[in-house]
Amino acid sequence: MTSEPVLDIRELSYRYPQGPIALDQVTFSVSGGERIALVGPNGAGKTSLFLCLCGVLVPQAGAALVGGIDIRDAAQRRRLPGQVGIVFQNPDDQLFSATVLDDVAFGPLNQGLKPDEVRVRAIDALSRVGLNGLEERVPWNLSGGEKRRVALAGVLAMRPAILLLDEPSMYLDPRGRRELIDLLNGLGGTQVIASHDLEMVLRTCSRVLLLDAGRIIADGPAVTVLADRELMEAHGLEVPPSLLRRD
Amino acid sequence: MGRFDSLVPLPSASTGYGPRFDPRWKLGATLVGVCAALALQHVVYALLALLGAFGLAFASRLQLRWLMPRIGTVLLAVSIFALPLPLLIDGPGPAWEVGPVKVTSYGAIVGILLAVRAVTVVTLTLTLLATTPLDALLKAAHALGIPGLLVQIGLMTYRYLFLLADELQRLRVAVRVRGFRNAASRHAYQTAGQVAGTLLVRGHDRADRVHHAMRCRGFDRQFHSLTEFRTHLRDVVLFLCVSSVALGLVLLDRVIS
Repeated sequence: MTSEPVLDIRELSYRYPQGPIALDQVTFSVSGGERIALVGPNGAGKTSLFLCLCGVLVPQAGAALVGGIDIRDAAQRRRLPGQVGIVFQNPDDQLFSATVLDDVAFGPLNQGLKPDEVRVRAIDALSRVGLNGLEERVPWNLSGGEKRRVALAGVLAMRPAILLLDEPSMYLDPRGRRELIDLLNGLGGTQVIASHDLEMVLRTCSRVLLLDAGRIIADGPAVTVLADRELMEAHGLEVPPSLLRRD
Repeated sequence: MGRFDSLVPLPSASTGYGPRFDPRWKLGATLVGVCAALALQHVVYALLALLGAFGLAFASRLQLRWLMPRIGTVLLAVSIFALPLPLLIDGPGPAWEVGPVKVTSYGAIVGILLAVRAVTVVTLTLTLLATTPLDALLKAAHALGIPGLLVQIGLMTYRYLFLLADELQRLRVAVRVRGFRNAASRHAYQTAGQVAGTLLVRGHDRADRVHHAMRCRGFDRQFHSLTEFRTHLRDVVLFLCVSSVALGLVLLDRVIS
């Protein structure tokens, strides 16, 4: 882990047009190689924050440097896909190509890489997520766990400095979830994981940010934040069972 | 092979020699064949074209039990337009008067021509679809100059059509488990409208999310593909054979007319 922050967010605010405020002066930073979790109730602003960090939403106030890129600067924002990769909640939203290989190659081809290099990257990314040999399969016929892995491979093939994962364990059966936890732990790099699955958070992240109503409520070591029953219940969450047993 | 692998559910067509051909040449040959079939004016030559189309289908090892129901469906649809033609079109040749109704042989011939041309076009198209995965076909279309954005839209329509169908199925189950039954009533029509509306809204939301996912992966409005096409002698031979037959039939048809 490097001490240099790869994510530096200062008083970031975003309000949906004619809608409620989604992010209210959010401030935090993430060091290179750090793996942190973003937890909070539904509507807390986790997905909105991710969409801001990958340049889909443009915050109205505050400052944010993502891998050194100022996300409020339109010219710099074009370089974001190479710096930050996001895996969405529902892999069906992310797998739109006709074959697994085409889908994994989609990002690198958009980066302007040569087909030979793209092929190498795509095969390498598929191998990292343990899906060798599925290159010619149709993505939407895969199992939930495989779809999630293909979606992840599609992002890894772009070799981003920061990986954002939105509810990665959603739709997965226990085996798929276990495999995903092992995979995330083995991937390395900087990861920000938004999840309601607090057990998974405990097993993958060392630090937790608690977000509610668009504000950062707590920022600290995962075990400390998640074990605080009063804090968790005040924000619509529960202490994970494994920490309860410890009590 | 599942329904998602091809636009039409295929039993064993892909085991034929059809898939060995370069999709670009196959697409080109099919387009020439379709245009020629549509240009024919005489039943005899239209029937010869149909024979040629069936020849291609059998050479591609399409099974009759797969092909015929689809052709039957098309014939049924075409018959709505073809059957009334003897009663509607007047022209040269014998005619018979049955009470107040006049039946013309010319109208019958035009009806038959319409049906034969439709079956020829459908047979050629099904042969192409059955022997070529749709993504390869669309990439071939792009290689032949179809704009990338159209190809991208085609691929995504194909991909999300099935997802939308699944969504509709879930909505149908959701209304059925709450006691809804189809009936000719105001409530049933309202429910159908609400289901359609919900589907539209969900489709729109999904389109938004897909667009976000594409932007996050640097989508630049261009269609990129790793697929490489290679031309072999057999591709050229196939194209020349189909084109020669098609153009020959059109020429003969024109000479006679």
